[in-house]
Amino acid sequence: MAGVMLVALLLAASGYFGAVEWFALIEAVLHTTYRLALAYGIALLLGVSIALIVGWSPFADALFPVFDVLQNVPSFALIPLFIYFLGFTDQMIIFFAVSSIVWPILFAVLTAIKSAHTDLNDAATIFGARGLRRIPFYLAPLSFPAILTGSIVGIAIGWESVIGAEIIASAGGFGAFIKGADVSGISQAAVAGMLAILIIVFVVNRLVWAPLLAESSKRYAE
Amino acid sequence: MLNDPSKMTLVLSRVNASFADEEKDVLALEDITLSVPQGAFVSIAGPSGAGKSTLMRVILGLMPHTSGTIVRNFSRAAMVFQNYALFPWLSALENVAFGLRMQGVPRQEREHIGREKLKEVGLEHLENHYPNALSGGQRQRVGLARALAISPDLLIMDEPFSNLDTITAEALKADLLKIWRSYGMTILMVNHLIPDAVELSDNIIVMGAHPGRVEKTVPINLPRPRDVRGTQFFTHVDTLTEIIRSVS
Repeated sequence: MAGVMLVALLLAASGYFGAVEWFALIEAVLHTTYRLALAYGIALLLGVSIALIVGWSPFADALFPVFDVLQNVPSFALIPLFIYFLGFTDQMIIFFAVSSIVWPILFAVLTAIKSAHTDLNDAATIFGARGLRRIPFYLAPLSFPAILTGSIVGIAIGWESVIGAEIIASAGGFGAFIKGADVSGISQAAVAGMLAILIIVFVVNRLVWAPLLAESSKRYAE
Repeated sequence: MLNDPSKMTLVLSRVNASFADEEKDVLALEDITLSVPQGAFVSIAGPSGAGKSTLMRVILGLMPHTSGTIVRNFSRAAMVFQNYALFPWLSALENVAFGLRMQGVPRQEREHIGREKLKEVGLEHLENHYPNALSGGQRQRVGLARALAISPDLLIMDEPFSNLDTITAEALKADLLKIWRSYGMTILMVNHLIPDAVELSDNIIVMGAHPGRVEKTVPINLPRPRDVRGTQFFTHVDTLTEIIRSVS
């Protein structure tokens, strides 16, 4: 990452980015980031809730293969559906992104619940985490490491979905920005934008995911 | 007295249980008939594959039995696990208080009780530690305190010493006997270590394997506290070892 920073600084110092419209670029990157954050929030809520309820229910084993097929449908194959219902709008891009982020989260949580040690399941039951109480007091905390890993994978996929949908829809954001920039070669604006996104990914990873992962792997270690 | 059902914490009669395999049902327990007297310390020994842990799960209603009857003459059962099965996201104190929390006991009260139980197992100084920061022996003590916290009248223990080193296990055994005497609950313990079983138990139920079945119930009438160096002790150990060898 230090290398990327260095390249960015060197390029900036050499005047490479002289012609870049910084305001438009930053606006575009922030717009994409905002869409991704919103989509992630919705997908997290949706994915975790569905996984917890299905994992809690006696139908987990029966539904697992169904989810497996659904998750394997390439999200971009369904983008016409989102465009048909929502048009070239913010909502279309956000919900399309949700449809791709939700799966890794849902799957990670469901897998964690399905593969929980029998003894731990029994302990939860014996000491009273029965009925609906099982979800907040046992299944949810049990799934914490899976929520983390599912989120990291989901957000990686989410960047692709948001930017891809922006390119297709031309509805603002970084995707539309690079489409509008000189796409015949790598223009300065596109390079600046990519560097900006790399830096955002790096900072979020360092400040949010890395410490949470370290904490979870320490506490949840066997 | 042994035949008086009202003095029994647990009576199983002709209980069968099976696992649903991919193709067919596999019989795990066959015709299990046994009774556990109130306040007794009963051990279950036998080779692996004898369904000892399955039997515990059936007794606790965690797994259905396919036929036979189970009379559960206890109001609250708790369990101590071989692999501790502590909740990794909770501190030692929160683990101990978990059962009380599920019963709706207010925080102050359950933490008070939790601290008392941790003290009984000698871990009051580690209440804020998470399981990953505890040794095996300490985890098992937290597991025991968690079980004691819900005031069980039946305590089921599934090979609680087998992951512990000898010295840790000796200390825990001594504490367990003390706790058993002061609480007076019934203890049902799966234990494949014969000397341990002879040292602790009033009765030892020997199970055979494939399918799991009761081979023999051996009463241990040695006076307590037991002399684990005496001839009588070793005679019992030898007899039991022989029985288990014959069913393995």
